[in-house]
Amino acid sequence: MIDMHKIVLVIALCSLLSFIAGCDKGIEPEPQDATQSGKTGFSGKVTFTGNWPAGIKRTHLVVFRNVIQSSSDFPPPNLAFVIDSIPYRSAVFDYNSIDNNIQFSILKLGLGDYSYVVVAQSKTPDLSLDRKDWFIVGIYYNGNDKSKPGVMTIQNGQMTNGININVDFSNPPQQPPGG
Amino acid sequence: MRKLIIALIILPSFFLHAQNGSIRGKVVTDENEPLNGVNIIVIGTQFGAATKKDGSFEIKNLPFGEYTLEVSMIDYSKKIINYFLDASSTSITIILTEQLIQTQQIVVSASKYEQRVQDLPVSTAVIQPDFITRNNFQTFDDMLRFVPGVQMNLEQPSIRGSSGYSKGTGARVLVAVNGIPMYTGDTGEIIWELIPTADIERVEIIKGPASSLYGSSAIGGVINIITKNSVKNPITHFRSYFGAYDKPAYDLWKWNDDLRTFYGVELTHSNSIGNLGYTFSFKKFDNMSYRKNDFSKRYLGYLKLTYDFTSENKLTYFADYLNMDRGNFLYWGDSRSYALIDTSSAGNTVKSNRLFTGLIYHHHFSQSVTAEFKSSYYYTKFDGYGKELTESIGNLFRNELVTNINLSEASVLTSGVEVSNSTINSNIFHSPRFFGTGIYSQFEYKGIPGLLATFGLRYDYMKMDSINAANAITPKIGFNYKAAQDFILRASFGTGFRAPTPSEVFTATALGGGFNITGNPDLNAETSMSVEAGCIYEPEKEYSFDLSLYMTNYNDYIEANLTNKGDIKFLNVPKARIEGLEFGSNLSLVPELLKVNLGYNFMWARNLTDNKFLKYRSRHSFNAQVRFTPYPFDIGIDFRCSSRVDEIDDLITQPPFQLVIDGAKRVPIYVTDLNLGYNLLIGNTQAKIFLNAKNIFNYNYVEFIGNIAPIRNFSASFELYF
Repeated sequence: MIDMHKIVLVIALCSLLSFIAGCDKGIEPEPQDATQSGKTGFSGKVTFTGNWPAGIKRTHLVVFRNVIQSSSDFPPPNLAFVIDSIPYRSAVFDYNSIDNNIQFSILKLGLGDYSYVVVAQSKTPDLSLDRKDWFIVGIYYNGNDKSKPGVMTIQNGQMTNGININVDFSNPPQQPPGG
Repeated sequence: MRKLIIALIILPSFFLHAQNGSIRGKVVTDENEPLNGVNIIVIGTQFGAATKKDGSFEIKNLPFGEYTLEVSMIDYSKKIINYFLDASSTSITIILTEQLIQTQQIVVSASKYEQRVQDLPVSTAVIQPDFITRNNFQTFDDMLRFVPGVQMNLEQPSIRGSSGYSKGTGARVLVAVNGIPMYTGDTGEIIWELIPTADIERVEIIKGPASSLYGSSAIGGVINIITKNSVKNPITHFRSYFGAYDKPAYDLWKWNDDLRTFYGVELTHSNSIGNLGYTFSFKKFDNMSYRKNDFSKRYLGYLKLTYDFTSENKLTYFADYLNMDRGNFLYWGDSRSYALIDTSSAGNTVKSNRLFTGLIYHHHFSQSVTAEFKSSYYYTKFDGYGKELTESIGNLFRNELVTNINLSEASVLTSGVEVSNSTINSNIFHSPRFFGTGIYSQFEYKGIPGLLATFGLRYDYMKMDSINAANAITPKIGFNYKAAQDFILRASFGTGFRAPTPSEVFTATALGGGFNITGNPDLNAETSMSVEAGCIYEPEKEYSFDLSLYMTNYNDYIEANLTNKGDIKFLNVPKARIEGLEFGSNLSLVPELLKVNLGYNFMWARNLTDNKFLKYRSRHSFNAQVRFTPYPFDIGIDFRCSSRVDEIDDLITQPPFQLVIDGAKRVPIYVTDLNLGYNLLIGNTQAKIFLNAKNIFNYNYVEFIGNIAPIRNFSASFELYF
């Protein structure tokens, strides 16, 4: 009789564990609308005034998640996206992140806010991730507020337009630390 | 007339008496050794017998009919057998399986000589081979997921959190066959398919650093596979299984209309010719997998020869060969296509050949001095076909001499020296050479009543190609105190050492799926210091409880990281600490009928440098095994769960890299397996049939990012001893 009680107890325990385990299916596929909607990205125009410096090998629009506080903030993951190199001595460069994705390394544009969108130039032929190889020549601002860099917001399935940057070679912006 | 009636009544009974017979047979172990003194009782009658020296028995003068025999002997599992006696009945062979009380179990891994589990200063688990066949584990590593304190991250073992995950490179748990390590010379990984499951006597798992006896690879613990002794009588074992995966849990995940199957067939034969014992085995096991490009086709050949010079001195040679052709599934396309491989690594395959051979000579000089010489050679060759052809040939040679000296009745000295050398020819590992040597000694003293003290020290020197040599001294101290007849305390302090593997230092390749690996010649060797305190409480032989508290501090812990260039690189974590508690119990609730094993592990694993949880570790894990064996049935339920892994490689799963889309998806793990066995006689041969249903609730979880673990699957297996 005692044995029977033990067997019943174990069956009850197994049933309880099975109930717990069977309640949930675990990982589920991500819903359709979150992965397959309209194009996600940003677009805008870069305008250049003044004379281009000599010896420039690369000019890119570069997107950082946060404002650069030190040289370690320059490479990924704070470096989030890079637009194709802008031809030397361009006056205007229209771009969008879909067609002008440099395919640099393996960077993908994530959703959310990006607090430091800039145009940067380098004299190195290869795409360097070293802060000291780059000089910031233009910064994206929200409207006319030039007291701080503008914030670009990327939303799923939407193109964020109007990310325009004016580069004035005769009046370069303040350089972030680490240069 | 009256006489005729009397005659009609008496005559049948006369003929019935004439219809008597004998049940004859033999009782042997599962290694076909005859068992003397086994009791055979015919249930419900006064009849019975005991076996003679040669294992034979005879129960005479039984009327023809159906009987139930109870076959029992101390230290062996009782067996109930239905037998039909008639004129055509022939001799029956009954196999009894050894069943020791867990704490009385003899192990050799903790000190490199025979000790009982209850005498050890460290936590130990012992697994019997029937656990593998009963659950139809296709490869050895599947079984480890049910051992308390052992976590598997895909194919990588971690004892008490010793390892996170680094695909196929390096291990912190030393896996050995008869004490001979079987990590590969190039990647330092463990090839689980290579383990000869048909020849396993038992598996001993030492939890916690064992570097002071085993050296570099044992910083997290040891899994030692002890193979069977040679047999004096021929025995053949045939085993076959076939199974299929169920449909995925969501229609969206259905990617193929074919039945995704797996199967295996294995034949093993053992015998002796004079003093020469031999075992050979052949196994073929394929798996279509539930995922795309995740197939595997494998052949395993195994040979073991044992020559007994005397009853004490013997030579053992084994050779183990694996040929494998498999897909190279890295991670899913995204969570909506869990079974579809990421497009950039689709079609990648790996072909490999591996040969692991070992020679062990055991010499008994006197009652107090024994020595063992172990020599091994491990050849590995793999060719990875993808965007780049990756190839590697590794040759690892290893020699070890161990001596055991009983200095007195109360003290044992175990000493040894080992030398290993590997050469690698590879287009991804820089073709380095590796040399390592170690010398160790361990002293065990049991002169104080109830107390057993162990002191050990090991020195290791390792040199890898042009990299600076690494060396370390790893001491250990352990105590085991029998406080009462049913209560044993233990405590240990140990240190560990692990040199980086060639693959961690030199790998430079595109792994596929967007992953590039870069070498790190500046990688330092990691060291550890650990303490453990525990107790065993065994109030009755049917109940035992084991509790452990443990802590390990790591310096320069080696871990794979994604660099800010998007490459994977092995880096040193300056300081890490793992603390935890582990509880295990073995309960024989109804002797011979109902057993329950429970295990729980809590772990607090911290990267002290950035104050985060160490990656790919679960804080809580629990497992329960219930086994109900009303003859001829054998019913088992195995349940395991672990909490959601706290930390993973976030950089891999999030922009800007996001190599694995939806890779952050992870959940607690709940897996329930069910097995139903049936014992039967085919002729006079014992056979078993098992039906297994795994992950019966079709719960979807990952052990590593972007890798859904096996979905629900069903299988049937059949095994026969003759």
